[in-house]
Amino acid sequence: MNALRSFAARADIETILAGLGAARIDVPVLQPADPFLDMAGEELRRRIFVTQSETGEALCLRPEFTIPVCRDHVAAGGGPARYGYVGTVFRQRRAGPSEFLQAGIEDIGATDTVAADARSVADAAAVLERLGVVADDRAIVIGDQTVFDAVLAELGLPAGWRLTLAHAFGSDAALAATLERLGRPAPMPAMPEAIAEPARAGDRAALEEAISAQMRAASLPGTGGRTAADIAGRLLAKVEAARLAPDPARLDALRAFLAIAVPLQNAPDALAAWQSTAGLDLAAAIAAFGARIEALEGHGLDPGAIVYRASFGRQLDYYTGLVFEMRGADGAVLAGGGRYDRLLPLLGAPHPTPGVGFSVWLDRVAAVAGDAP
Amino acid sequence: MNPATLAMPSKGRLRDDALALLAGIGITVIPPADSRSYRARVEGRDDLEIAFLSASEIARELGAGRIDAGITGEDLVREGFADSETRLDLAARLGFGQADVVVAVPEAWFDVETMADLGEVAAGFRARHGRRFRIATKYWRLTQRHFSQEHGIQLYRIIESLGATEGAPAAGQADAIVDITSTGSTLRANQLKVLTDGVILRSEACLFTAPENVPPQIADIAGRLRAAQKKAAPPS
Repeated sequence: MNALRSFAARADIETILAGLGAARIDVPVLQPADPFLDMAGEELRRRIFVTQSETGEALCLRPEFTIPVCRDHVAAGGGPARYGYVGTVFRQRRAGPSEFLQAGIEDIGATDTVAADARSVADAAAVLERLGVVADDRAIVIGDQTVFDAVLAELGLPAGWRLTLAHAFGSDAALAATLERLGRPAPMPAMPEAIAEPARAGDRAALEEAISAQMRAASLPGTGGRTAADIAGRLLAKVEAARLAPDPARLDALRAFLAIAVPLQNAPDALAAWQSTAGLDLAAAIAAFGARIEALEGHGLDPGAIVYRASFGRQLDYYTGLVFEMRGADGAVLAGGGRYDRLLPLLGAPHPTPGVGFSVWLDRVAAVAGDAP
Repeated sequence: MNPATLAMPSKGRLRDDALALLAGIGITVIPPADSRSYRARVEGRDDLEIAFLSASEIARELGAGRIDAGITGEDLVREGFADSETRLDLAARLGFGQADVVVAVPEAWFDVETMADLGEVAAGFRARHGRRFRIATKYWRLTQRHFSQEHGIQLYRIIESLGATEGAPAAGQADAIVDITSTGSTLRANQLKVLTDGVILRSEACLFTAPENVPPQIADIAGRLRAAQKKAAPPS
């Protein structure tokens, strides 16, 4: 049992969060399970504690704070706000404890993305520092989903490839496997003649009609799920891909991008070098890095001590921009955060509502900081 | 010596096939005098006891260590609990009750042939249709393992289905299914097709035991069942 579990220590953390200007928020431990499973996918199911209410609603012990805090924000319907929280989260694991103490800040609705991003990184570093983990004891790594998306768009990859690659982003293994698959010649899809004929001719209307007939024969509902137009679109793209040889130059350019890992202050130069080698235009992304570096310096952080890793991301499709993490000397992640502009609209916010936030793993911090007061 | 407990399916083809197989290696189960009883003896053996349980209960009882061995479908054991690979020993494959657990989609999805295709469709599903891609199944553990761990597909939801899973796409309850099939005729009748890499598990009836401290009489039965299988289907 570490000292952070005591009420006095939690009060200290609340003081730290309040000192950073965050409004305190409490969310129930017991949460509806659906928002977590909808946002994070079914993989989460075996890692959360699920139970059922008397009425059959699936409930779970909160596995994290971001989604409940955002749901509360949407329900309250207020304007921009910064929320600070501290409390226990619950994750199932094969071995070891399943309760963890987390604290963090969610900054919702701030439209100056660069400023809010830099503040989130700086706040996370400040929480660690005030808990006894100074700059020398932790390493900061940042990544950026928007740069990856810009690279995919610039490379002019087929839409299906971009989707698959964007989905794999954040997992080095998934990215490597996807790149390997895309490097092989695509086979012509197997189709019955009634489908193959319009598909090869590129006759979209006839193809959609043939697919519709098949769907009606199978009594598939015409609405709510995949439509004949969806199927025809992907099928035509596959036929097209099977006619084209894979383009190793573009895949190599993508690999070279993903291999970039440099101190943040060198990131604009590294991206500029990549764009001139690949013959592509990343000017917007490079300018954004310049602004980000300035904003971080404004908070007293040293961009030379932060690493930008091009392949660093999160495999959650609501993360949209900056992602970051801070690791202790033993490699444990002490804090993690990122920008999730897609999350609030998915949770029902009526207007586009940006968000960025971080959480700190207090038990790991206590272990690193040695419980000393 | 305490009798060792061997559990068997309590009804249907699985029960009949299991009884016939045991008879073939000289284990004759004496039907209980009271037809409602779920316990039976073995002719000439007081070191063995038979428990008739439902096929899915056998998986659970094995996991809890309350029986020494059980004959049941591999699909039910793999689905029944996590890390069944390390917690139980697959002592013998029995050559009956064959069925595959498969991923199937509507035949009309001419653009979807592989799990990679399905992953692409699932990844873009919410942006296009305003909800997650849905899979109807009663095999949520096997589905998760196949989708998440083996194919890196996370963006889907499982709709728990307790029967007639193959009808879920036409009923609009789900987009695709994970279900068991032996001949594929039910899938074909519902105009569904199995993805080329969509076979999650080739299941059959098996004898399962604990990984260690197996009673000698159970080890002996496992050995004889393995030998009988080898004879029935010599390695090609």
